[in-house]
Amino acid sequence: MTDRARVNAWRLAILILTFGLWEGLTHPAITKAVSRVVYFVDPFFISRPSAIWSRFWYLNSGAVRVPLWQLLVSTLESTLLGFVVGVGSGFVAGLVLGRNARLAAVLQPYIVAFNSLPRIALVPLVTMIFGFGLLAKVVLAWLIVFFIVFFNTFQGARGVDPDLVHAARFLGASEPQVMRTVIVPSALAWTFASLTPSVSFALIGVVIGEFIGGESGGGIGYLIIASLGNLNAADMMVALLVLGLTGIVLALGIHQLEARLLRWRPEHQARG
Amino acid sequence: MGPSGCGKSTILNMIAGLVAPTGGVMRVDGQALTGIPPQVGYVFQKDTVLPWRTVLQNVTLGLEYRGVPRAERERRAREAIRLAGLDGFEDAFPATLSGGMRQRVALIRTLVVEPEILLMDEPFGALDTHTKLRLQGQLLALWIGRRQTVVFVTHDLAEAITLADRVIVLTSRPGRIKHVHAVKLPRQRDVIRIRETDQYAREFSALWHVLGEEFAKGETAEEAGGTA
Repeated sequence: MTDRARVNAWRLAILILTFGLWEGLTHPAITKAVSRVVYFVDPFFISRPSAIWSRFWYLNSGAVRVPLWQLLVSTLESTLLGFVVGVGSGFVAGLVLGRNARLAAVLQPYIVAFNSLPRIALVPLVTMIFGFGLLAKVVLAWLIVFFIVFFNTFQGARGVDPDLVHAARFLGASEPQVMRTVIVPSALAWTFASLTPSVSFALIGVVIGEFIGGESGGGIGYLIIASLGNLNAADMMVALLVLGLTGIVLALGIHQLEARLLRWRPEHQARG
Repeated sequence: MGPSGCGKSTILNMIAGLVAPTGGVMRVDGQALTGIPPQVGYVFQKDTVLPWRTVLQNVTLGLEYRGVPRAERERRAREAIRLAGLDGFEDAFPATLSGGMRQRVALIRTLVVEPEILLMDEPFGALDTHTKLRLQGQLLALWIGRRQTVVFVTHDLAEAITLADRVIVLTSRPGRIKHVHAVKLPRQRDVIRIRETDQYAREFSALWHVLGEEFAKGETAEEAGGTA
């Protein structure tokens, strides 16, 4: 416990130091001198924590047309939808191909080709087909998440210990029962390993969609692009910090879920 | 019993319907095999307990597959767990158990569905002597109630005599039945004390000679194979 407290103390120290330096170096009295050495250490480019703080409250107030929290809800909604659809479809596809070697062999070149295509290259196409709204953002997140989850589940389903499958058959398991009691739980361990990166990548997909989507798409990504248009560093920093915090919260959520569902694994067993 | 590579496990796998014989037909209860026969239970040497299920959930597995209602299967599983001396571990996950305990879970998981024929492929081979003796004792205790057919592969002669009514010795490759030995020990056996009886010693030395020849042959064959 003291070890944990020490880790947390260090974390807090880094946070305070970073924001303190940031605030100090961009102070009006010294920023001229500092920006002569490193030109972007200037409130114009990186704003200041105090300015970001006040912009944060302003952007959440009734003074703006779409308050920040609504932008965040829009981003979260697309991210979670894309994540859920991506995980679901990736998991099913991974299981099916992982247990069907023939089908996997047939589809392999297409999967490799599609996966090596940079997902960002698909953004304009997705926009053409699905427009600028929620659907396009969800599709973008889904396209990224699907492949991550698919490949992991595929590996997991293919790598199920054949002796476990035999043992289940000897206990009288039908094929669907083998699937449900042996293959799915075994593959799930692999799937879970892919969920934390997946949720981050879902967020990436959505934000890129919001860059393109403009005001009708909304979201934090829109705030970033709009801030670029206004050369408003404080708003951009608000958006970035909110995104960062969102990422942490989502990753923690996944971790909690994993600890619950994979509590049989040695690393989740209570120590004592 | 027989030297390694003589086909002991292959015979088990044929009875289990996992391996098709290259010639002839495998019949279980007079029926030619197509796939896994339903009356057969199989305990592997390797630990095949499902790690994501607790002890209780592992033991109920076969009953669950057969559609036995939850209350009934848990009652039977708890009874079996108690007989195997695993009470208190019902809700433990396999990762927290020792190898011997996991193998006991695998054993009662198979016994609880009451197979008519039980195949065991060196189930205690990976365990230390002490654990092995305990499990042999428990196997006998669990078996005595139902007395189903058990085909038990081992290369431990003491284990074969302790457990078996008949010991079948295979020749080294190609595997043939070399000798069928009837063990003349009373059926109620204490795995420790039986070793101190004269009859046990006689059984042991009789089989020791038969087996010794085959192991010696197996070794020369292996050496020849290695240098060829």
